[in-house]
Amino acid sequence: MDLKRRDFFKLIGVTTVGSALPGCEREAHNLVPYLLPDEEIIPGIANWYASYCRECPAGCGILVRVMEGRAKKIEGNPSHPLNQGKLCARGHAALQDLYNPDRLRGPMRREGPRGEGTFRPIGWEEAFSLWVSQLKAHQNRTAMISRPVRGTLAEIFSRFMKAQGGPLVLYDAGAAVNEHTANRANFGIDQWPHYDLANSTFLLSFGTPFLDDWLSPVSFGAAFGRMRQGRAGMRGRFVQIEPRLSLTAASADRWIPIRPGSEGLLALGIGQLILAHGRSQVEPSDRRKFETVYRSHPMDHIVQQTGITQDEIERLAEEFATASTPLALGGGPASSYTNSTITMQLINGLNVLVGNIGRPGGVQIYDGVQFPGNDATVQPASEQTLLEIAQAFDQGRYSLLQLYQANPLYSLPPSTGMARLFMQAPFIVSFSSYLDESTAMSDLILPDHAPLESWGDHPQNGLSGNLTVGLGQPVVEPLYDTRSVGDLFLQASHHLLDMRQDHHPLPAHPFKDRLQANWQSFLADQTSESGDTFDLAWTCRLQEGGWWTERANVQSKISSHAPSDYEPAAFAGDDKEYPFYLSLFPAMGVGRGEGSNRPWLQELPDTLTSAVWGSWVEINPKTARDHNLRSGELLRITSPHGRIEVPVVFFPGIRPDTIALPMGQGHWAYGRYATGRGVNPMSILAPLFDTRSGALATGATRVRIEGTGQLGKLALLEQRHEDKGHELITIGRRQPT
Amino acid sequence: MGKERWTALFLIMFTATLATAAGLLYSTGSADLTTQDRQPIAFSHQVHAGELNISCLYCHRYASTSPTAAVPTVSLCMSCHRSMNTAHPEVQKLVRYWQRKEPIPWVRLQRLPDFVYFTHEMHVKGRMQCADCHGRVEQMHGTPRAPTYEMGWCLTCHRQREASDDCWTCHK
Repeated sequence: MDLKRRDFFKLIGVTTVGSALPGCEREAHNLVPYLLPDEEIIPGIANWYASYCRECPAGCGILVRVMEGRAKKIEGNPSHPLNQGKLCARGHAALQDLYNPDRLRGPMRREGPRGEGTFRPIGWEEAFSLWVSQLKAHQNRTAMISRPVRGTLAEIFSRFMKAQGGPLVLYDAGAAVNEHTANRANFGIDQWPHYDLANSTFLLSFGTPFLDDWLSPVSFGAAFGRMRQGRAGMRGRFVQIEPRLSLTAASADRWIPIRPGSEGLLALGIGQLILAHGRSQVEPSDRRKFETVYRSHPMDHIVQQTGITQDEIERLAEEFATASTPLALGGGPASSYTNSTITMQLINGLNVLVGNIGRPGGVQIYDGVQFPGNDATVQPASEQTLLEIAQAFDQGRYSLLQLYQANPLYSLPPSTGMARLFMQAPFIVSFSSYLDESTAMSDLILPDHAPLESWGDHPQNGLSGNLTVGLGQPVVEPLYDTRSVGDLFLQASHHLLDMRQDHHPLPAHPFKDRLQANWQSFLADQTSESGDTFDLAWTCRLQEGGWWTERANVQSKISSHAPSDYEPAAFAGDDKEYPFYLSLFPAMGVGRGEGSNRPWLQELPDTLTSAVWGSWVEINPKTARDHNLRSGELLRITSPHGRIEVPVVFFPGIRPDTIALPMGQGHWAYGRYATGRGVNPMSILAPLFDTRSGALATGATRVRIEGTGQLGKLALLEQRHEDKGHELITIGRRQPT
Repeated sequence: MGKERWTALFLIMFTATLATAAGLLYSTGSADLTTQDRQPIAFSHQVHAGELNISCLYCHRYASTSPTAAVPTVSLCMSCHRSMNTAHPEVQKLVRYWQRKEPIPWVRLQRLPDFVYFTHEMHVKGRMQCADCHGRVEQMHGTPRAPTYEMGWCLTCHRQREASDDCWTCHK
């Protein structure tokens, strides 16, 4: 047959297409049965386990739904007194810690030079014996930096490090160290008071971000709801005083944009007026001390420094002093300067002045729960303490560094010199679950189980009006070849027995046994449990998720010491060359960086700007226009210690002389979701610390700004039209009513 | 050959190709013949449910208590085949899986979409027979894929037996 070229091609074409069709196979799905049936699992039916959340130091109770051995959903535990069934986004995202693809799956040993981040997997035998040999070699020269832990694990860490001869430093970037130091100075306490918002009628908050990220936003959120809507006919008034409109400020009746660093002066002024109008409730014997402190600065100086009118200050003092149950709180930005502990003391003093200590709606101080790992030794440390440890390594006093789920290399500014510790410490061993910045510098990694795979207990450090000890159990079998850090420490301590003269070595039981033993003696002391056998009581506690009382005992006699004298905040950079204040805040989802490797938290839109998956800088629209900035433009921010570039968001809720950035991005390690995303604003901070507590002063660095003319990369969920000349929010001046 | 002949040939081939393609796609939905539906072990329902008259629930034991009926655990198969019919090559395959401590990767034949909430438990409690939906399984030589379970088919039965036909019942 005459096959023409054209026809030949047509035939070929059709045949080729035709032959491809049977290739459209669907993927085969498999149904994989068990080898042996599990007694507790019915396929298709979920089991719920009670535990407590370990994503932040608050320790809310959780219920975890487990289907066929896989954790599916986390909810708040309705029985737990702190959160009462509610749970924040970070708690929900703990599932993405358990199933995170970047979790370390077994022990690792550094291979290349330190800093390269190359590791090779090794077996547990080798890893464990290497660790023990290091412990033996560096006896009395070991330091440990851990995230804040409590309960049985804290007890084990404490006793281990005491025997090993070296400090245990519990560090968390968001630990509210200034507030804590002030409470110790004013009231002599280590645990948090119960701040009774729910029964307050006037809440005077100096920057306290209790709805964003402060101590326990879940419980404060619920309490705030009760304050506003829980009482018939009484809504309670709320004034928030801070340079930037946070989510908490957005829920207030009044937001007062105070000049950064002068919050203490405002508290001073209010206290001064309370004393002047004869409204103070202080014991006459203490009155002199209070007067000396609060009258130390004249009102016109206060007005000038804070930028708040005298009328406004008088109004605040009047409302605060005449409210039936007033409450003053401080935190957040007010806790980010070099004079913050003093500021917190002055705020505590306001509560003493109006006599709300120990009263409903005020500051209630309870006896702490008597449980191992719940005392002064487990209080979080300041950044200054970390630097002292680094210095000790420099001087050769310590030579072995142990890390447990702490990331100081990321959280501290390079200007502090923290990196030197990680470059030069002779040996670093980490028990963390991820190759974060600090763990990536280690020599040996012995990864811990995920919290959802671990036992644990959490005696509450105050906060709620109950004595509470949370109990956490594993809800799934460990996914990988990890080991419980409690088990590791107990085993190691057993190996080191011969090295020690310590007369109270820890027994080499598994961690779970140690935890159970603590609970056995604890429950035996509780009169309400004396009727049951331990087995029954233990099962009940597991089902409930812990142990708690109805109401704790209020400490009736609190000695309130007068605050220290005020000192002004110090800033880095002179105000001509660096005209702007820099305010840093923890992002809603990723916080101060610990949540950046959980996509759900990256996905969580910032409540005020709707930004996701990146960094931004908030600038007052007037300032932006004065500098000819467009929305989304990449802004260069320069401090005396470095510079960063971040996209601009027009943000009316901020002083024109201040810019604000979220923390938590800009990782250079920590997995695929966190690395190389956004900026870490800590990188340009000056090494300034609170003068009393040593906490890093994140708000003490001044900056200058300039537009780059380029657009940055930023995803916003909502459309913004600032460039088009009409604003969604207009700012005008209103006469006070 | 003339132009018309070529056109005709082209058309016939085109139609034939389309028909083959459609047929293949259709057949992957219904027969146990294509590779992807072949089970790792040639289990016969006809032998077990038919000749041996084993109750459906003996193996698919969660059908009365759970949304999913589940396939039996390997230990359940071994409880008989530890000693029964051990010479059969398919049984030997089973024993090898057991010895290797490897669960049998059965091919899933039915998967309802994620927006459908179906519970076996409710239907078994409603005194339905397995065969009402799954057909005469005791006569099937393999593990056949039943025709697709479509909403209209479910609704017909629901209406006949006066079970709920509210959207929310199945589309939670």
